[in-house]
Amino acid sequence: MSDGKKAESTEAAAKKKFTRRDFLVTGGTVVAVDALLSTTPAGAVTAASAPPPEKVQAYPASKGYLVYDSKKCTGCTTCMLACSLTHYGEQNLSLARIQITQDSFGKFPYDLDIAVCRQCKYPPCVQSCPVQACFVDEANGNVRRIDTDKCIGCKTCLKMCPQQPHRTVWNHKINKSTKCDLCLDTPYWNEKGGIGGKQACVESCPMKAIRFVTEMPNQQETEGYNVNLRNEHWLKLGLVEDSRIQPPGTGGFGGGAPKAKMQAPKANTQAPKAKG
Amino acid sequence: MPGGYTGKILRVNLTNKQISTLPTEKYLEFGGGHGIGSAVFFDLVGDQLPFEAFDPRNLIIMMASPFSGTFMPGSGRCEVQGLGPMLYPIEWFGHSNFGGRFTAQMKFAGWDGIVVEGASENPVYIDVVNDKVKIEDATNGVWGMDTWDAQQEISRRAVPGLRRGEWAELAQSCYTTQIPAVVTCGPAGERKSRLAALLHGPGSQAALCGFGGVFGSKNLKAISFLGTGSVPIADPKAFMDARLWFRQFQWDVDNPRDAEIFEGSGYSLINGAPSGGNVTNGGPNRVPARAAACASCPRGCKMRLASADSNEAVCAGTMVANVGGGGMFGGFGRKPDPNAMPSALSQKLTRQANDLMHRYGLGHWQVMATRGYIEALVREGVIGKGKQIDFELPPSGSYAYHETMFRTIALREGPLGALAAEGAARMAEKLGRYQKDVSSGLVKLTYYGTQEHYDSATQVEWGYGSILGERDLMLHQMSNYPLHWMAQSGNPYLDAEQASKLYAEAMVPYQDDRYLVDYGEGPTGIYSDSKVKQVAWVKHYEKFWIGAGGFCGWRWPQCITNNSADRRGATPNAEPKFWNAVTGQNKTFADYMELGHKIFTLDRAIWALQGRTRDMEVFPDYIYDQPTRGSIQPMVVDGKWTYATGAGRKLDRAKVEDWKTRFYKFEGYSPATGIATRETLEKMGLKKVADALQKQGKLS
Ligand code: SF4
Ligand code: SF4
Ligand code: SF4
Ligand code: SF4
Repeated sequence: MSDGKKAESTEAAAKKKFTRRDFLVTGGTVVAVDALLSTTPAGAVTAASAPPPEKVQAYPASKGYLVYDSKKCTGCTTCMLACSLTHYGEQNLSLARIQITQDSFGKFPYDLDIAVCRQCKYPPCVQSCPVQACFVDEANGNVRRIDTDKCIGCKTCLKMCPQQPHRTVWNHKINKSTKCDLCLDTPYWNEKGGIGGKQACVESCPMKAIRFVTEMPNQQETEGYNVNLRNEHWLKLGLVEDSRIQPPGTGGFGGGAPKAKMQAPKANTQAPKAKG
Repeated sequence: MPGGYTGKILRVNLTNKQISTLPTEKYLEFGGGHGIGSAVFFDLVGDQLPFEAFDPRNLIIMMASPFSGTFMPGSGRCEVQGLGPMLYPIEWFGHSNFGGRFTAQMKFAGWDGIVVEGASENPVYIDVVNDKVKIEDATNGVWGMDTWDAQQEISRRAVPGLRRGEWAELAQSCYTTQIPAVVTCGPAGERKSRLAALLHGPGSQAALCGFGGVFGSKNLKAISFLGTGSVPIADPKAFMDARLWFRQFQWDVDNPRDAEIFEGSGYSLINGAPSGGNVTNGGPNRVPARAAACASCPRGCKMRLASADSNEAVCAGTMVANVGGGGMFGGFGRKPDPNAMPSALSQKLTRQANDLMHRYGLGHWQVMATRGYIEALVREGVIGKGKQIDFELPPSGSYAYHETMFRTIALREGPLGALAAEGAARMAEKLGRYQKDVSSGLVKLTYYGTQEHYDSATQVEWGYGSILGERDLMLHQMSNYPLHWMAQSGNPYLDAEQASKLYAEAMVPYQDDRYLVDYGEGPTGIYSDSKVKQVAWVKHYEKFWIGAGGFCGWRWPQCITNNSADRRGATPNAEPKFWNAVTGQNKTFADYMELGHKIFTLDRAIWALQGRTRDMEVFPDYIYDQPTRGSIQPMVVDGKWTYATGAGRKLDRAKVEDWKTRFYKFEGYSPATGIATRETLEKMGLKKVADALQKQGKLS
């Protein structure tokens, strides 16, 4: 990770050093879950037991997001390997900032989930980092990123990411936390990443089951990110008719459905238009 | 170490419970997978041959390739090698492979392969999490389980508290969201059935050779891998570029090329579109499903259903049982017959009956042959109530029929089970009918006890490639899917001349021969020198890219494809592009094909040490004596390329023998014995193999 791209982005970030104070707004207009998580002291109390906040912090919204279609995904893990390859030059599922979790014995569609970083509107990972290593990169479209040089490896952001599995990803080789940077820092790829560039997972997915969008997905529901990316050609494969999918049952290891997804899924929404 | 390798092969001795390692470096010249497996086998036990498959000296070798654990498209298969108890009349040093994510996890755990030797006194399984290798007691619940329960139970034991969708901490700060990859034998393997397969996931089988029975003979239930490490890549940028370059050869799921032709069900098996491998979940009664892929496969030919039956099973794995006409509906490159709509229930019972086969751990392809033989013997009055084999099966086509068949064979129940668990060839032998029934084709055990697959008189590279090997060739991507099934669709996208041209151009280093895929009987056809080259190409490709590279035989080679602009496939450019990027080597396609030649030569030397002679490399009489129904292929007929079936043709014994003589010479083997000459072996750096053959008096 020593190429120009990285140097430029950290320098830019340093210049526009971002502090909590800059973005304090009064609470009340924000949904409860965001508000609760936003003021939780790093690792001190769980989100659920935190006292109602008086103030929440606002951040400029990310200018890019990944959305995905978990019913279109085959579980090939190409995206994960592309993520680790472009960032680290090696292939390793544990280092991938996108995680495909699946159970071969499970029942479709509850046999598989795609876990991507949501680039949260109110990112608890950023809010909770005691040393601002996890930050909003204003120089690069407000991507929520981690500067591993600054990270002290406290794992607070692993605990504070409200998603399950957490989208902050521990790199055990350097003992630092990492997360999806929308491919901003990909020294092992000939393409430019980040907002306005390309994303390794999106480009390599043979099912076109991941898409980069610039519109912020609905923050409250998993469905805001898990969208229908299937067109009439997929329908012709005769695999999925959403109307016929039953509520979750378990097979194999069961479970798996992220917390936000415990009710029967709603009909898939259409994907926001891709702009990237 | 070049990229792609972890550098060490795990060696587990079940007799003395010793765990050690072999350095991969010592075997690098063999590439990986099958190549390294053959070399390890020769090194460890070559000097003790011949011995039997259930002898504790037999090895189970499961090798990954430099590509395993990477995103090289369609390369995640695990090659299993050892003496194969299914094979006949000699239990040849055989190979079988399975897909899924087993080799990926093996590599992430830090291993290039595993070699199991000896036999345990009590049932055990091997549990590997990164560098922690444990031989675990299997008596406490795991032994006796079906293949599905065993995999899930072992996974839970390997990672306590395992839950999909959560990070698990395997070692200090090493996390994964993945579930252990387990390969296991079932009740059939525990009973040393020669039909026993190895299962990984619900439907991925190493079906051939009877390696499930070898697990059983070693008191080994299963092997589990889970890891959090990396596969090093020599040139990451080139590898990423290659992966994105490869997209032009994939089915574009959102906008398929010439969708109006290829979306039709007549092409569903071969167009490269997701999910075409499961043939029991089609038609109006289909259950919602995901197209599911092995690690890194861009196609995803499998399915996972809302009903979780027939999950991840494909082709024969969904075809052996057929309850009430519920099988094969609209699948397998055929248009659905609207007059033969199966009911939702018969489709469901068909899937569940096939699942029973997987759960018992029976190898689909050979169970099919054995069942066919049992049915023939029922018709002949040998099996039945009060007959020589006193056993009455439930009505054919019922769920009970399949359930009884699978249970009887897997558990060796009664007089029929005891016989059938030995496989069709040994069953025939025990009944004193082998010669008669195999020669007549009553049971089509065409290649060393494995059943005929595609027509031996027309798709000859399949038949020749099989008898020159040790079992059914199983290489669909040569002439079978792209050529045979394209023509069979009734709407081929290339005419015979165009197809043969693109094929020849892809088949480096024989690209100057225009007639490599001529399946006619003329001077450039099935007995010609062009066919010598084609079969050599097939065997070399099979040994290096499929075998050492862990490629999927449903994806590779790719000489033509409906998905590219000019219909050219990714072969021969993709293979070295990917291999060199991963390993950092810098060789050509032809260089690697010559390595395939070397591995093939080593395998043949091992068979020679087991007793292989030239006169064993023949077909059963029925192939020469009975006219074939034919099989559509490109052919030169009256000087013109055309698609024709060759119906009515018989293979000519003398011409096949003459062809074999030329083939042996072409490969550097003695035409008298079919065994490599010392000169050939030494040129390949296999002097010690020549010495071993000489010691046994096998070098002429
Ligand atoms: S890591 Fe978690 S908390 Fe941080 S932006 Fe991503 S999803 Fe949100
Ligand atoms: S692990 Fe690193 S990035 Fe995460 S909260 Fe701690 S210091 Fe910040
Ligand atoms: S956008 Fe880039 S960093 Fe984020 S998950 Fe995809 S490949 Fe990884
Ligand atoms: S690459 Fe695409 S199809 Fe494969 S696992 Fe990732 S999202 Fe799923």
